[in-house]
Amino acid sequence: MDKLDFSGLCSRPFSEKSSAHLEDLSAITSSVQDFPLPQVQDVDRFESEVMAYVKPNHGTTTLGFIFKHGVIIAVDSRASMGSYISSQTVKKVIEINPYLLGTMAGGAADCQFWQRNLGQQCRLYELNNGKRISVRAASKLLANVMFSYKGYGLSMGTMVAGYDPTGPGLYYVDSDGQRTKGQIFSVGSGSLYAYGVLDNGYKWDMEVEDAIELGRRSIYHATFRDAVSGGTVSVYHVTANGWKKVRGDDVGELHYEYYPAAEAHPCFGTDPLEAA
Amino acid sequence: MVDPKAAAAVHSGHDPIKHTTSPYVTGTSVLGVTYRDGVLLAADTLGSYGSTKRYKSFERLCKVNDQTIIGAGGELSDFQYILTLLEELSNEDFCADDDAKLSPKEIYAYLSRVLYNRRSKMDPLWNSLVVGGVQDGKPFLGTITMLGVHYSDDHIATGFGQMLARPLFRERHRPDMSEEEATQLLHEGLRVCYYRDKQTTNKFQIAKVTTEGTTISEPFALETKWDYKAFVNPGALAMGTW
Amino acid sequence: MANVAYQLGSSGYAANSAHSAPHAHPSWSPYDNNGGTCVAVAGNDYCIVAASTRLSTGFSILSRDVSMIFKLSDKLMILSPGFQADARTLHKVLQQRYIQYQFNHSRPMSVAACAQLLGNTLYYKRFFPYYTFNICAGLDEQGKGAVYSYDAIGSHERSGYAVQGSGKDLIQPVLDNQLKAASPLVLPPENWMSSLPLDQAVDLVKDAFVSAGERDIYTGDAVEIYIITKEGTRREVVELKKD
Repeated sequence: MDKLDFSGLCSRPFSEKSSAHLEDLSAITSSVQDFPLPQVQDVDRFESEVMAYVKPNHGTTTLGFIFKHGVIIAVDSRASMGSYISSQTVKKVIEINPYLLGTMAGGAADCQFWQRNLGQQCRLYELNNGKRISVRAASKLLANVMFSYKGYGLSMGTMVAGYDPTGPGLYYVDSDGQRTKGQIFSVGSGSLYAYGVLDNGYKWDMEVEDAIELGRRSIYHATFRDAVSGGTVSVYHVTANGWKKVRGDDVGELHYEYYPAAEAHPCFGTDPLEAA
Repeated sequence: MVDPKAAAAVHSGHDPIKHTTSPYVTGTSVLGVTYRDGVLLAADTLGSYGSTKRYKSFERLCKVNDQTIIGAGGELSDFQYILTLLEELSNEDFCADDDAKLSPKEIYAYLSRVLYNRRSKMDPLWNSLVVGGVQDGKPFLGTITMLGVHYSDDHIATGFGQMLARPLFRERHRPDMSEEEATQLLHEGLRVCYYRDKQTTNKFQIAKVTTEGTTISEPFALETKWDYKAFVNPGALAMGTW
Repeated sequence: MANVAYQLGSSGYAANSAHSAPHAHPSWSPYDNNGGTCVAVAGNDYCIVAASTRLSTGFSILSRDVSMIFKLSDKLMILSPGFQADARTLHKVLQQRYIQYQFNHSRPMSVAACAQLLGNTLYYKRFFPYYTFNICAGLDEQGKGAVYSYDAIGSHERSGYAVQGSGKDLIQPVLDNQLKAASPLVLPPENWMSSLPLDQAVDLVKDAFVSAGERDIYTGDAVEIYIITKEGTRREVVELKKD
């Protein structure tokens, strides 16, 4: 057992060079609702300038769809700060509880913080009501928080996916406060590429393996065309028994799995004008 | 968190409270060096109003207690306010009558919080402060900027002094210098500041802290030499930067 | 929720010149970038933590010996390049929380707990962020190296190694090349920690700083290194070029 370290209480504590008063500690312990705002006239302008300055993590492709055997969620894992790739290993599926997943697009911190907060709220719901929260209610809790912060510059585009007694559930919730129920969603800068593959291959009564492969392939193609998507493709499958991670593949390796021979890649196809 | 007065002003249609967004009456560089027996600080005595020499005998070095002195550049009214804060603290110590005094490091830490918290309210105290003192028999020298950035070092210069005097300090300073050597070094630093910083006048003070206590010198002038060829006819020797 | 008056606030951000000052200044900013680079490498039974000691602003070097490493305990450290005043404030807040935690729980904080605390503390300043790019590093409860890296507003991730600060662009690719293991996201799971022996990892970190010092004006003077193992923590200082 480690010894407790209270050296910080000494009058000359952790650093040779300084010791001092604390800044407003009560603020940390208070509720998450009162984040301090900068004391400026034009908060909007300040927020946009400050976000350009600190360059928080951004950029994504995520997708989710409901089919006969549950819900599939698939995401990439790249985060960028401006043009710099700040991480290739971001976990963009947030495991809220064993039956609920959230996906992450937009500001990484906003998604991480508020979905963790959603996890707390869902657990409190279980303790208060003695039963699990529905996907519908959970997504609404998140949407309500987002609505209450509307105009403050949060950036979040998420899908809340899960399974409850009414069946599979999939909701899109974003930082504008929008909340939409749906069968198929794709969110993020690479979503258009993902939609192209996804809509083309989707059938309600597909087999589980085919659905997983569709999700994976859709994200792969998005990472191929969207510069700020990439890294690893993760696929989750949600059923009545909860969620399970079913795939985790490096995009670099997927490329050669899909196109074993480089010259066989479609972009090297015959030019129809030259052929004619 | 919100200032009720400001909120009220917004409601009643008056202008919200204005904060310092640029300084009015300013002081320029403060220099400081540690030496064998303590710390020396140096500064000129000018309070500038833009490019006007508005106040020519403004003392920018002040005693806080027997073991601490501070010097300030930047907005001088803000500095006077900071002195009232320190005076309040000293008065509390006096009233407690327990012989407890704020140490140089405590004053340095306190001032760094004051300046940081004011910048966090978007209402900065527009100063660069230098704190000098002797604590536990060892010299202490630290500086704090208007944003709350703070560090301690063997030698320090704020403002123009950072560019003009600090290179001299880096070349010549030794922690075991005698008082004469340290004074000499400060004179050199002050002199280059006077030559090249138009906000510096030739009327300086040097403050000293040792285990014996603090003293602040009477204002003095440095000998200057203006007949360098480059000063007499700057254009003649200018050959272009490359 | 904050009301409208709160949003309007009480001050003028970016000078509105109702009075014109005798000496016009560009609009004031509450932030500065004081530069500096830090690196942390997690091994199976060690953690290396390193940070440069130069403090700069613009093209000026303010000081050559200012630590960016904040030691919460011998096995738990936080590295914060960026704006020094924010970093020191953050450290003071965390120090206070760390002590409070020990009173409440009668045991030291784990790296994972501290990592979450740091994330929440940063996010709490979401609308007026601390301009710091942190790494939280130490040994986890299994004695393995643990490294977490952050953006300024609290998003974080555990990884096998991390680089933050002004020399990030120079050092990160080198560590990617030398240390990169499988992604922690792949299935079936593969080992994602760096498998380099301790002495080689320390040499790699030192070399990385020496090289960054050649090309990054904000990295130099010295690098402070802590080598954390279950036997204890060792501190080393490697001098870098002062130019």
